[in-house]
Amino acid sequence: MKQKHILTYFISSTFLLLFCVSVNAQNDSIASTKNDSIKIKQKYGLRIGGDIGKLIRTAIDDDYSGFEIIADYRLKKKLYIAGEIGIEEKSNVTDYLNTITKGSYLKGGIDYNLYQNWLDMDNMIFSGFRVGASSFSHTLNSFNVYHTNQCWGEQFASTTPQEFNGLTAIWVELILGLKAEILKEQTLDDNDEVLNGIAFDKKNNRIFVTGKHWSKLYEIELIKK
Amino acid sequence: MKKTNFLFILLILILNYYSCERDDLCPESTPTTPSLIIDAFDINNQDDSKNIFGLVVTDINKENVLLGYDLVTTANIVLPLKTTENTTQFVLINDASINDNGTPDDASDDFYDGNQDVITIAYTREEIYVSRACGYKTIFKDVSISIVDDGDNWIQLIQPINNPQSVEDETETHFNLFH
Repeated sequence: MKQKHILTYFISSTFLLLFCVSVNAQNDSIASTKNDSIKIKQKYGLRIGGDIGKLIRTAIDDDYSGFEIIADYRLKKKLYIAGEIGIEEKSNVTDYLNTITKGSYLKGGIDYNLYQNWLDMDNMIFSGFRVGASSFSHTLNSFNVYHTNQCWGEQFASTTPQEFNGLTAIWVELILGLKAEILKEQTLDDNDEVLNGIAFDKKNNRIFVTGKHWSKLYEIELIKK
Repeated sequence: MKKTNFLFILLILILNYYSCERDDLCPESTPTTPSLIIDAFDINNQDDSKNIFGLVVTDINKENVLLGYDLVTTANIVLPLKTTENTTQFVLINDASINDNGTPDDASDDFYDGNQDVITIAYTREEIYVSRACGYKTIFKDVSISIVDDGDNWIQLIQPINNPQSVEDETETHFNLFH
């Protein structure tokens, strides 16, 4: 069987809920020179989140289930390294085919923010690209033979499931999208009992990330500007 | 303002997922399950194409006439093969005419007069994936045609073009019929 390489261009918009955790390690003892003009501190660092769109679709579309973790890392003022990792399962039922496709994928690339944020806004209208790679399998549940001549009525139908494993695909996506900050800040102080989620260990200067609020996106400052 | 933004983004998101679905119609130009193609030649002058006059093609029970083969004059027959079985039978009536059975007003008891020859097409089947929209097609291998000898056959000979003959597409003739 011939392998087809399809170059697919997706125009996808990604929508994220932003919750920011400011992890400040600022030393207050250093005297700062006070100026008249207020300097807006830009946040740089790693953001991790989930794709709510896929979760909504999983809930409303019986033929689909998917889950995706998104991450980006702000490199320069307008430049982000971004990537996604996800799993998807989709069933396709037509008059002639009944298949289920399952797979996981990894995408990596660059986002460039075209939006000039006012003051302390943290929104993005971005353009970018991803290079994606996927490993997937098809399960053919049933099929009917396609025949343009209906002379004999019923055509051959197979109901024996067949599996096609170990399929791979590589593609390039061009992206235009929006990311809007909806909720500004969520601060955690020492009184917060965080059993799972994100926790900062002040003593040892460590950050713990676990799976409490994967539908939310956390921003952890790694670089100070 | 924030709320409108939110709804706008949500709308784009939902539209994206549903507008990117591919079209699921199978284009007519796509080769799917092929039919068997027979060309008719003169038995006495085997290089000359010879029309079959008053041709009627029906199923073995003579209940249904194959679409497009109801009293036609042609030197080319296209027969759909059954994808559910390994044989397909047709009745080919040469020089046919409708016998109204003595009741010109009642078409229900009409039958065809003419020389009826029964052919049996035997083959093995293979299902091949075409595309997402068209699904699978069947191709036919080791195709052979036998004529039931009724003592008065108008078909003298049916020969495959190749040996073994397969029916994988409709681009060329598969069998020659001599009469």
